[in-house]
Amino acid sequence: MKRMTMASLVIASIISAGTARAQAPALNGVNDAEKARVSALVTEAAKEGALTYWDTVLQPATKNALLPAFIEHYGLPKSFRIEFSEIAPSNMITRLEQEAKAGRATVDVAAVASPIWVAAQARAGALMKYDSPEYKNYSVVAEAGLVEVGSYAFNGAYVFVPLWDPDKVKVAGDSWKDVLGVLQEGRVSVGNGAASDATIMTYIGLKTAMGKDYVEALAAKKPVFIPKSETIASRVVAGEDTMAFMGMPTRAYQMNQKGANLKYLLPKEGVTLLPQNFFIMANASHPAASKLWFDFILSEKGQKIIVEKEAMISGRNGFVSPLPDYAPPISQLHLVHIDWNKMTPEDLQAARREWMAIFKQ
Amino acid sequence: MDGDLQAVTLLAQQPTRQHDTQHRRLERWAPGLAVLLGVALALIPVAATVLRSLMVDGSDALTIVNYQRLFADPRVHLAARNTLVIGVFVTLGSGLLGVLLAWIVSRTDIPGRKTFELLNLVPFFTSPYVGAMAWQYLTAPNSGLLVNLARNWFGLDLSYLRINSIGGVIWVLVLFYTPFIYLFVIGPLRNLNGALEDAARVHGLGFIDTMRRITLPLLAPALLSGAIVVFVTSAGLFDVPVILATPYSIPTVPALIFESIGYPSDFGRAAALGSMMMAVIVLLIVLQRMYIGQKRYETVSGKGYSPRTAKLSRITRAACFAVEIFYVGFGAVLPLIAVLLVALSPLWRGWFDPARATLENFRYVLEEFDLTRHAIFNSTFLSVLGATLVVALGFLQAYRLQSRQGWIAKILQPVLSMPNGIPGIIFGLGILILLIRTPLYGTYWIILIAYVAHYFPFAMRSLGAVLLSLSPELEQSARSCGATWWQTLRMVVIPLARPGLIATWLMVFIILLRELGSTILLYGQGTETIGVAMLLLSEQNFHYVAALAIVQVALLSLAFALLSRNSKSLFQ
Repeated sequence: MKRMTMASLVIASIISAGTARAQAPALNGVNDAEKARVSALVTEAAKEGALTYWDTVLQPATKNALLPAFIEHYGLPKSFRIEFSEIAPSNMITRLEQEAKAGRATVDVAAVASPIWVAAQARAGALMKYDSPEYKNYSVVAEAGLVEVGSYAFNGAYVFVPLWDPDKVKVAGDSWKDVLGVLQEGRVSVGNGAASDATIMTYIGLKTAMGKDYVEALAAKKPVFIPKSETIASRVVAGEDTMAFMGMPTRAYQMNQKGANLKYLLPKEGVTLLPQNFFIMANASHPAASKLWFDFILSEKGQKIIVEKEAMISGRNGFVSPLPDYAPPISQLHLVHIDWNKMTPEDLQAARREWMAIFKQ
Repeated sequence: MDGDLQAVTLLAQQPTRQHDTQHRRLERWAPGLAVLLGVALALIPVAATVLRSLMVDGSDALTIVNYQRLFADPRVHLAARNTLVIGVFVTLGSGLLGVLLAWIVSRTDIPGRKTFELLNLVPFFTSPYVGAMAWQYLTAPNSGLLVNLARNWFGLDLSYLRINSIGGVIWVLVLFYTPFIYLFVIGPLRNLNGALEDAARVHGLGFIDTMRRITLPLLAPALLSGAIVVFVTSAGLFDVPVILATPYSIPTVPALIFESIGYPSDFGRAAALGSMMMAVIVLLIVLQRMYIGQKRYETVSGKGYSPRTAKLSRITRAACFAVEIFYVGFGAVLPLIAVLLVALSPLWRGWFDPARATLENFRYVLEEFDLTRHAIFNSTFLSVLGATLVVALGFLQAYRLQSRQGWIAKILQPVLSMPNGIPGIIFGLGILILLIRTPLYGTYWIILIAYVAHYFPFAMRSLGAVLLSLSPELEQSARSCGATWWQTLRMVVIPLARPGLIATWLMVFIILLRELGSTILLYGQGTETIGVAMLLLSEQNFHYVAALAIVQVALLSLAFALLSRNSKSLFQ
């Protein structure tokens, strides 16, 4: 009898050790209810085997870094796939709207810096309601109206600010006005206001901080309208433009790693924060995997990878940026305050028309 | 001739009565159905576009408000003017260059003309999107490779080239549309009866006057057909202006259509722009038919004749050689060098640095970027299947229209030719409007339908010319020997038309492999093609686009190599 008891104990301890070894990191340190919820999602996600994720900022290399970490975090099969596209904002929104019209959903999760459009989608029931446990870690930005708990968060934020090659142009001072002084006619780029919400949001912020006259003075410099932040930065590196008026520090970081020498300025009058709204489509065809992906991207681990690879600004409470030079904490930024929740798609369209009239785009 | 022998042996294969009935049914229905399908594919997307242009979002009531808004919008006026200027000058430029190149290789004695005959086609195998990108890297005013080369080595200022202008768009499009005219006129130039030109010279006309009064008028049908194709496709192309002109606030109609479909989308506006452009195209086709219909162009008779080869003076030969070098150099060699150098550079600083050359962009595109593999597979799959369907449909239609030339055929022919004259982006819009609420949206099949519907007229016209060259006696002999329609087709007509079928298939395959206009509106997750992947990659980094362009050029070169084996049938 004693021998049998000993044998049972040995077997139980082996099983228990095996279980402990097999337990996914996501299940460590969580309560039983959360463990059961996550385990059920993991089982379902493994069956789904894949998810489709579109993002307007994250590059495929970042997805390639996130995927193994995601698989390991939840103990998913190694064969789990993410169909990923980095796509321009206007293209993404068009596709998502077309899919909604067609009643099809090929995209499960998406991220785009277009809070007014995303909020409208949430109101229309196009986004999945999901009460992620990660929302509690985004309480500060939620209070600022940048996150709608249960509908959408943001996987990172960025700013459009002046970006230049110091070997070709010198900027003295830390004001938007100092930048305007060094712009060369026809050799400055801005975003494509005709199609990009992020550009129009930056325009609204700039007008708020500096007034309409300032924007008109910028338009007089005959800027080129470039839709993507990568191209904007590339043109500065090549010497085609001497200044990217709406450059992205993220791209400066990535190009500098390849040998470029780009600098950017956070002007003292303030910058407009552009949250990369992150959401699950209501009729996602991989709902369990989408929920896990949502949780993972917002987790400390996910945010660390995103900030390291993309130099984006994290909205997670108390997050310590591994790249403070390019992705400073939100608390250190002087932000132009605009309540996007009070703006409607019509307001945004009116601002777009104003932009197009000023810039003759 | 194998076909004849096979036809004779058919006597031994008398079909049963049941088979005979089946074949008669097939004979009656298959070509007729192909024609009907063609009419449906041509008209329904057009009708959908026109109907959608008469509706505004959120209402089913018909209204002309979209047109009123367009007419009141100064940006649309500017875009229409720019598009017209682009279309006219590209047509004139590529017409001049295309005829000149075709004449040089077909009617002169310059050395290496066989090689030039194929090299003149190389720009046709490169996507205009890649061409525009290449010319941006070559001549961008502050960072272009040629601009920097001229400045650093020769102290020359080439900033006046202004590639980011309407002129820049025209330059790139002329280079890439010249092969269209070239292909349209080289056959007729070869088949031109030299006696007519001799007669003109005997009566005292010089070379220029002979060209003006004899050669060019005789080329008019082919030249006009080519010119209309070039006008509508160049004016309707969005991928070149979107790189060279749109960022500089230079609007064009196709770019406005693309913008209207994108966020914030306005399908009514896009459809109204598309309908207006289609109206202009239909008007042009009608005018072309009226002009050609008034004259006679037959020069091929039962008498034997041969085209004359002009014996050039040394100076003229050198000038012709220079024209060839100029075209091949600017149309093919320089753009390919630029794309290759960009593909091998980690960062572009307006200059190629061999010390920093890397294959990283190729590694990224081929290994790390999942979409590339999908895109190569999707493009190949869609191009192979699309070309096969297009050729099958076009062949049956050509056969039907050839065998029964009545008033119905006369009406149907322009209708069936229509899709080819509609720019890809407008045709894609029609298909999108039509099928967006069906399960086909976002699948391979919607793209395939667009490809077949847009390009079957190309195959119908090419194969119509091939069938016209086959004597009806061959078919009649087989039938009188007891062969069924299907057996005659399989054993006589298809074997004789095989070179033409292969050449047409390869041409359509190449066109589909680089297609972007309609695909850009119709692709979904997982159905991206190489053209779409390039556009998506361009949103990350042009170095990746350049690397993928080199992969695309490799694929197209393979098709080019196959095509060059069939070049005789192509040029005929």
